[in-house]
Amino acid sequence: MNKIVIFGIVFTLALLGVVFGIVGGKDVDMSGDMVNFYSAVAAVLIVSITVFVVIKYVNQMQNDTASGELAEHNWDGIGEYKNELPTGWAIMFIILIGWYIYYGLVKYPFNAYSQIGEYNEEVAEYNKKFADTFANIKNDPAKFLAMGKSVFNVNCAPCHGNTGDGLATAGEETLKAANLTHRLDAITVKNVIENGSNQLGYEAMGGMPAGMAAGDDVHTLAVYIAGGMSGEKPAAYAACASCHGEDGMGMEGVAPSIKTFDANMVAYVLSHGKKGAIGKMPSFAGILNDTQLEAAAAYVQSLSGAK
Amino acid sequence: MFSWLEKNPFFFAVGVFLVIAFAGLVEILPNFAQASRPVVGTKPYTVLELAGRHVYIKDSCNACHSQLIRPFKAETDRYGSYSLSGEYAYDRPFLWGSKRTGPDLMRVGNYRTTDWHANHMWEPAKTVAGSIMPAYKHMYTNVADIDTAWAEAETVRKVFNVPYNTEIPLQDGTTAVVELKDLAAEKTKALEEAAVIAKDMKRKDIEAIVSEGKIPEIVALIAYLNSLK
Repeated sequence: MNKIVIFGIVFTLALLGVVFGIVGGKDVDMSGDMVNFYSAVAAVLIVSITVFVVIKYVNQMQNDTASGELAEHNWDGIGEYKNELPTGWAIMFIILIGWYIYYGLVKYPFNAYSQIGEYNEEVAEYNKKFADTFANIKNDPAKFLAMGKSVFNVNCAPCHGNTGDGLATAGEETLKAANLTHRLDAITVKNVIENGSNQLGYEAMGGMPAGMAAGDDVHTLAVYIAGGMSGEKPAAYAACASCHGEDGMGMEGVAPSIKTFDANMVAYVLSHGKKGAIGKMPSFAGILNDTQLEAAAAYVQSLSGAK
Repeated sequence: MFSWLEKNPFFFAVGVFLVIAFAGLVEILPNFAQASRPVVGTKPYTVLELAGRHVYIKDSCNACHSQLIRPFKAETDRYGSYSLSGEYAYDRPFLWGSKRTGPDLMRVGNYRTTDWHANHMWEPAKTVAGSIMPAYKHMYTNVADIDTAWAEAETVRKVFNVPYNTEIPLQDGTTAVVELKDLAAEKTKALEEAAVIAKDMKRKDIEAIVSEGKIPEIVALIAYLNSLK
């Protein structure tokens, strides 16, 4: 054993000793968290390996002599040892060149893994799982409503507010999205009475003509309908009642309810969007599936207390 | 093993040529694929939208918002269909972003509206409960730089041949033209577009600024965000 190896062992032990002293090795708890134990093992390994690799190369520098066969050529007396690639390595190298030509020109362009393919598989798998899991959700009203609430929170709440109040601050002037805690806002009723309505293009019903009421009647009607149709019925309501019914519940295939939210209508608005008196609502077709649309519609209905 | 090749300059040159030519082919060929062309329906930005894009960059929206929807179900559920490279054809520079402190904005024009943005940028936490986005009230008074936006549009038209004043095919088979006229005409046009947006924002102060012939940064930014589809 030469001097260098002895020096290396002493140096390693000294270094570990110093580290032991600095981190307070006596007090380190090795029993609980394994991280301390692993750190200690790593410290010993790193220091010993470093020292002995250094020793190996110092020895080599001191003792090694040149060996090997000289190549034929030399330049101004400076020669070169023959240094062939190991055979296995050379074979691998040539195989890889061939493989890359195949991969680069054939395999990758024509037969590659496709991110979009994987995406399509993922979507198909999800849709199947969704259909299986929620096949009978409509039989469980509480669960159905919970689904509607989660859809509402993600897709509707940014505009209609977490409570569905349309982010109303004070008065109708500041309304940004429809207040869903009641069927209609006064501003919407006024707009529809004055301008008519094509019923959002909803095929099941016809359009409503403009100017069904005029003057103060518009305001009276707007307040009455927006107020949930409670209190004294204004005389002008007779014009509305012929289609929307005495009680405002609408008539199947003729006019929608103006007292409560119709689940079909909400689902229709969600999938087609709408341009109303307040602003433009985007369509959610393609974002929500049918079950989610119906669940959201049921939840919106529940917000206004309708059954 | 290859010392014979090293001693034959001709074959060595042929070998070098083959290797470089192959590497070049692999790099160049994909650029001619359909997937590398602008997606059908991708239009260049109008001057007002470009001005909004400058505001977007100036206020570092891209530090918190990405514009790249990855092909995962969870992402397409929330943001819309996944992004294609050809959709960024007229983005100089692209604004992919690298971090989503806020949501992705690649298709924000599909599901947010002018008045929502107007509300949100004024006081984000009031519109989105728990939002940590800061308010950008200075955008409601600062005036957008239409001149620079026009200069950029004119530059990319001349230098990169961005198809302004050219018929662009749309997905439904029809075509559309994004016009780019001289500065004065573009300023008038931008002001008209701004007036429409200001009206939708339902803010009297913004409408007042626009009626003075100036365009607040928020109006340009909303025009840009609405164009992201």
